[in-house]
Amino acid sequence: MTSGRMELVCPAGTPATLRAAVQAGADAVYCGFRDETNARNFPGLNFSGEELAEAVRFAHDHGSKVLVAINTFARVNDVDLWKKAADTAAECGANAIIAADIAVLDHVAKNHKQIRLHLSVQAAAATPEAIGFYADSFGVRRVVLPRVLSVQEIAALNRAIEVETEAFVFGGLCVMIEGRCYLSSYATGKSPNLNGVCSPPEMVSYDDEPNSTAARLSGFTIDRYEPGEPVGYPTLCKGKFKAGGKTSYLFEDPVSLNAGGMIAGLKAAGVTALKIEGRQRGKGYVTEVVRAFRKAVDAVEQGGDATEIDRILASQSEGSRQTAGAYSKKWR
Amino acid sequence: MMTISTEPTLPAVIRHLFPPFAGLPLGPLLTLSLRSMARRQPRLFDRLGEHRTACYFIDPVDLAFAFTVVPDAERSIVRVVRKSEAATSSVQIRGPILTLLSLLDGTLDGDALFFSRIISISGRTEAVLALRNTIEDAELSPADLLGLSGFLARLADTGILGALSVARQMANRNSRREAPGA
Repeated sequence: MTSGRMELVCPAGTPATLRAAVQAGADAVYCGFRDETNARNFPGLNFSGEELAEAVRFAHDHGSKVLVAINTFARVNDVDLWKKAADTAAECGANAIIAADIAVLDHVAKNHKQIRLHLSVQAAAATPEAIGFYADSFGVRRVVLPRVLSVQEIAALNRAIEVETEAFVFGGLCVMIEGRCYLSSYATGKSPNLNGVCSPPEMVSYDDEPNSTAARLSGFTIDRYEPGEPVGYPTLCKGKFKAGGKTSYLFEDPVSLNAGGMIAGLKAAGVTALKIEGRQRGKGYVTEVVRAFRKAVDAVEQGGDATEIDRILASQSEGSRQTAGAYSKKWR
Repeated sequence: MMTISTEPTLPAVIRHLFPPFAGLPLGPLLTLSLRSMARRQPRLFDRLGEHRTACYFIDPVDLAFAFTVVPDAERSIVRVVRKSEAATSSVQIRGPILTLLSLLDGTLDGDALFFSRIISISGRTEAVLALRNTIEDAELSPADLLGLSGFLARLADTGILGALSVARQMANRNSRREAPGA
């Protein structure tokens, strides 16, 4: 069981959103640079070096930490962009770098010993052996857990490892082995894990059809929505497909993770930090979700519960629906 | 294009304050305002990257006219256009005017409005995202758009935001009255 107060780690896609997260009660904010070194490489999103330096100053002045995600995988013979991103993050005074690529981890471990290394969920490390390797080889201090483990499995894992764990509690879900999504690569020719986007926006379209709207990625129809029906992100893993004569969400329903009701369980399982997904979301989302989780985490830390959180956050969820995901999974 | 769900729209009493499309001077005024903002805050438009030359068709569904916006910093152009001119633009964004204004100041979350189909988009998705993220980071106030500072800026922000708040309350009341079973 974690002895200290759990840390609330919140997303920021822009400096304005970072300030909103800090002011809403984030203990730490994670963000990335405006290029393919991070897994939310959308047009108009992310930070320049100058913006990161200002953001770090703002966060530190308000008692919050800044964690920089440099968590995509470097291309063959082109590691310099990732190394430079790590150097800039260190120069800006970031508290930690979140990375998955062994080359990036090695560069930080050798050249920036003062900065903490967190293992990105992109590394999909979910066993004591894998986590031990990263901790022994690169001095990784925290592991962001893949969204495939139950609370019981997390508790067992925490008993077997020496490093901190961070668990997602709200936002988008990934059903692939994280860091290895071939579905998007097949459809778009671009890897989410190298380029930083699941569905490159230039390949997404919403097309009017008689009595419905079709969402397409690179010409593949992902879903059709009736007028007024809630929609989800245009990702293939949350698409509706026909298989075996039946049309259904074949891989995953378009729902958001909400483990707000499991904060006490995650604390008991030894989790150090709770992570909110959504660097692509705006200030309205970040403010509302961070405030709700701040209140819930504080309530749990004081021995209370966090039952109100589901109602508060329903409107911010993908497809306006929520799930506890693998935390309460009944399948293998 | 995504279809719009039922959502509080501009009350008729306020809607009638806007004349139907007839070459409104709003376009030149907003053009000047955007260009002036670009001179004062040049970094504001950086996030748009290559999409600053895209033509955005903004359609407030509860007004009789729409806008086209090319947010190219000091070369920005805003025009008041007929709703039928959507096809000539790279991107179309539709929604109730009060909701669209709430996106400008970051009160509401664009993705949440999109999930619940209160706003709709069509055209080049990457240009929509670039615009959305640029606006999110800009933290615009009415005074920024009008190029005001100091006391006048505070006055404009208080007055305009207060008026918008009253309009939203009226719209919400109308919407509740019109909702089936309400």
